[in-house]
Amino acid sequence: MNPVLIVIVILAVILAVLLVVFFLVGRGEARFTFDIGGNAPKASGGSDTSSETGFKTRLNGLGVFSGSIIAVILARLWSMQLISSDDYAAQAESNRTRTISVDAPRGRILDRNGVELVTNRSSLAVMAKSDVADDEIEVKLLANLIGMPEMAVKRKVEDATTGAQNLRTVAVDVSRRVVAYVEEHPSLFTGVSIEQKTQRLYPNGTLCAHVLGYTGSITQEQVDKLDSDESESSIDYELGDTVGQAGVEYEYESVLQGVKGEQVVYVDANGSVLSQSSSVDPQSGSDVTLTIDATIQKAAEESLSSHIESLRAAGKTECYEGCAIAMDVTNGEIICMASEPTFSPSVFIGGISSDDWSALSSDDSHTPMVNRAISGQYPSASTIKPLSTFAALNYGIANVNSTYDCTGYWTGFGSAYGKYCWNHSGHGVLGLVGGITYSCDVVFYEIGKGFYYSDNKEGLQDTYKKWGLGSKEGIDLPGEAEGRVPDAEWKWNYYSSSDNDARQWQGGDDANLVIGQGDLLVTPLQMLCVYSGIALDGVTWKPHVLKSVNSNVGSGSVVEYKDSKLRTVDEQSEYMDLVHEGLSGVIYKESEAQASHFTNLSVQVAGKTGTAETSHTDPTGWFIAYAPSDNPKYVVASVIENGGFGSDGAMYVVRDILGAIYNEPDTSTEVDSSGVR
Amino acid sequence: MPGKPTLPTERRQGGPLGGLLLRFGSTHGHGRVRSGRGVMFFLPQLIPAIGLIVYGAVVIWSASLTISDASFPRHIFGISLGMVAAYLLWRYDYRALANMSKALLAIDVVLMLLPSVPGLSHSALGMTGWIRIPIIGFTFQPSEVAKLVTIYLMASLGAEYNGKIEHLRDYLKLCGMLAIPFILILTQPDLGTGLIILVTGAAIIICSGAKKTWVIATIAGIVALAALVVATSMTPGLPHLLKTYQLKRLIVFVDPSVDPSGDGYNLAQAKIAVGSGGLLGKGIGNATQAGSGFLPEAHTDFVFALLAEEFGFVGSVLLLALFGAMIFATISLAQRVESPFGKLVLVGCVAMWSFQLLENVGMCIGIMPITGIPLPFISFGSSSMLAQCASIGMVQSVWRHRPKAA
Repeated sequence: MNPVLIVIVILAVILAVLLVVFFLVGRGEARFTFDIGGNAPKASGGSDTSSETGFKTRLNGLGVFSGSIIAVILARLWSMQLISSDDYAAQAESNRTRTISVDAPRGRILDRNGVELVTNRSSLAVMAKSDVADDEIEVKLLANLIGMPEMAVKRKVEDATTGAQNLRTVAVDVSRRVVAYVEEHPSLFTGVSIEQKTQRLYPNGTLCAHVLGYTGSITQEQVDKLDSDESESSIDYELGDTVGQAGVEYEYESVLQGVKGEQVVYVDANGSVLSQSSSVDPQSGSDVTLTIDATIQKAAEESLSSHIESLRAAGKTECYEGCAIAMDVTNGEIICMASEPTFSPSVFIGGISSDDWSALSSDDSHTPMVNRAISGQYPSASTIKPLSTFAALNYGIANVNSTYDCTGYWTGFGSAYGKYCWNHSGHGVLGLVGGITYSCDVVFYEIGKGFYYSDNKEGLQDTYKKWGLGSKEGIDLPGEAEGRVPDAEWKWNYYSSSDNDARQWQGGDDANLVIGQGDLLVTPLQMLCVYSGIALDGVTWKPHVLKSVNSNVGSGSVVEYKDSKLRTVDEQSEYMDLVHEGLSGVIYKESEAQASHFTNLSVQVAGKTGTAETSHTDPTGWFIAYAPSDNPKYVVASVIENGGFGSDGAMYVVRDILGAIYNEPDTSTEVDSSGVR
Repeated sequence: MPGKPTLPTERRQGGPLGGLLLRFGSTHGHGRVRSGRGVMFFLPQLIPAIGLIVYGAVVIWSASLTISDASFPRHIFGISLGMVAAYLLWRYDYRALANMSKALLAIDVVLMLLPSVPGLSHSALGMTGWIRIPIIGFTFQPSEVAKLVTIYLMASLGAEYNGKIEHLRDYLKLCGMLAIPFILILTQPDLGTGLIILVTGAAIIICSGAKKTWVIATIAGIVALAALVVATSMTPGLPHLLKTYQLKRLIVFVDPSVDPSGDGYNLAQAKIAVGSGGLLGKGIGNATQAGSGFLPEAHTDFVFALLAEEFGFVGSVLLLALFGAMIFATISLAQRVESPFGKLVLVGCVAMWSFQLLENVGMCIGIMPITGIPLPFISFGSSSMLAQCASIGMVQSVWRHRPKAA
């Protein structure tokens, strides 16, 4: 019904009532005659009639007074109850309703075969309002019940990091007994409640920790950033939410995070819940399937850690860190990515304890949270030699028939600047293929010298950059490092505190650069991509760990990752064949012992060792290989820091990963004693 | 509308309800009717007043569903007491009071001083001006009754001038007499009731025939004095005649956001209750503001907000219509009553109801500062109910004891 119509009807009724009153009372006036009503008038002057008229006027005035009071109230009520009533109704509604958000389970993270790497479990948590901290008796009771020190309970209740208004988590994973006791004694535990929470569960412990990352409570900066990012998703974050803080958990936060449910309850003025209103069920986040193969990942991690351990046992006392990484060269899928030392993502559940944190951040721990496969930056050492070869050929510093005579000591920049080949006894006469196969430094010193005196002084740098060094590959993981390709300008700026001679680009810099030593820094992932490109004659696919996203809502749609080419480097096939031959030689010719580890594989392999000189006693060893070399499918790289030559440790890790891929474990026990680099 | 008159005499009565009035009067008259034209009750005032009491009972009953303090039986008890008082006043020939100014003043003063008597004074929950009658333990607010006594007092004094106050001396005497109960009640302190007494007394004085210039000068003086009191109360170092909470209420009235948790909160919640009632209201027992405890004092001071929330604009207008009918019926009776004393008693009653309506409803809708004044006939509370029912008796007594036609 039209409200205005109703109001008009009401006003008509009022008018009728007033008219009735008027008729009933007003018309009888004439029948009353003057009567002093028991009072003798004392006032002199003024006739009876004038006094009667005066009363009449004043009574009318009183009527106007009362009438205007009613009119003012009526006008105000009209405005409040008819015009603005929706506003007031909304205020009344927000007064009596509270919205409680219900957490949605995060999506799981699976390996390429569907093996659960990260999943969820539900746990019962004791929650408390902040004012519980003021009630000493309640804190004491709670502490006794849960079995926590009183101070710890108090601190947890006072901890406002999840937001001042939010309930504070006192304890998670409490027993059924605790739950029952709290729920049976609501008068003892006012402000304490039990909540079901879903928590991250890592069925394989530390497996793949660096790729998976971990979750933690969102920080204020993250709330601001994520909520202001309109394009991201419709998820509204608030303090206390659990979000990915590293690895895939961070990278694919927007798909892993579910949509929170809402429960609307009616409350009274004290905030006590009176009844339930409506609820919206939470939507769990989407599952993420990775390109990682859990079996190969496990083999990689075990091999890496056991070889680091045995190197350390063998006297390489500073050897703690390393990484291994394998990729499908045909599409860029990362098959495994291991980094040592590692950590347990589960310590971050429900907030990391300070003990755990100091353990992870102490000097003795060797920065276990760093994913060295993408964040580690090392001199590439001899693994750069194929690129130096391309540079030499393309810039005319050498041709496919160039030969060099290695005597073990090279004085190309004068006797004052003599440099040793790693093989002090010399390699004799060899060409570029031999230079790669035997990793002869002298061959490359000559190339370096050639560039130093050529018109294309930056030819090496340009070639390296063309193959992706010095910039990120864009893998779908946070924390990727850029590396560094040093050139004259960089050196001048970098050593700004040194004198001008030392800042100048020298021939020695080219000699270092060409063999991957000195100021050059690369990440294992970058070198992996370089070798992936070499394997496919110049084509590199963009490396990635995501295979597909599987929605848990509705019909469960699946979105596959779209593979894309990262870059294509055009090298003459003549040059490419030369490099391939050299890399094949590394595996089968450089050293018999090394070859014995690969001849027992059913596929042909090509690869390169590398040994980076660092400020530490023992060098950092590289090994990168791709297989099958006639029809490349996989490329595998490993770096072991301060563990000696590439053939001392990294080579075994690569072999073990290939063994896991082809299910052909390494049976050779031969150890290289020639110290090939 | 009732049926046609059947007797020629009745037709002379005038008004369509005349026959009904006569029949009602004749049936219950017990020979006390002065003449054939007389009836026992002045129904135009009585019917809206009973309507208000019934309406109030419904509202308090609905409040009793959710508010434990609102006891419906106690409300009915208060109404019963009030009915007894109304009956006694109706029977009593009020005209006898016209020459008893001194006695009325004495009663007034005694009533005002009762709460200060040790052994009687009762203060709980910050209330002042209450007494607790020993042995039976009944608590009572004498100032409610004092309001009525003051009406009789001022009417008896004002009636002496028969509608025209010639001398300033007489006017000042009347003002002085009004000042006695007013100042006494301010000492309790009860500013709200004090204001009612002031306005009621002022209405009687004005209707007694005070000259316009005197009245305007007095009002100007009062306004200036009030401003001075407020100003000194707000200035540190000067005497604070207003209590802190009274001052705060004034400030909150001007700017509710000053005190969002105290009086500002109360005001905001009352306005939400009124506004959210909308056209038809939320229905009995569905008032979320009052029912869930957001609206404080929903059955006493803020009862209008409860009423407006449950019954909406329609219910609010019904309340105003009942008050309007009662007030205008009483004014029209005052027009017809011959005796100045009777007129002035009625004027006092009208002024009292009107001002309490303005103040109580006004504070719920944000057009008046918050004071603890009950809504006549509706608010829970026996003292107020007793006094308001008694005021019905006062009006009916004027009707009953109107003189015979010459």
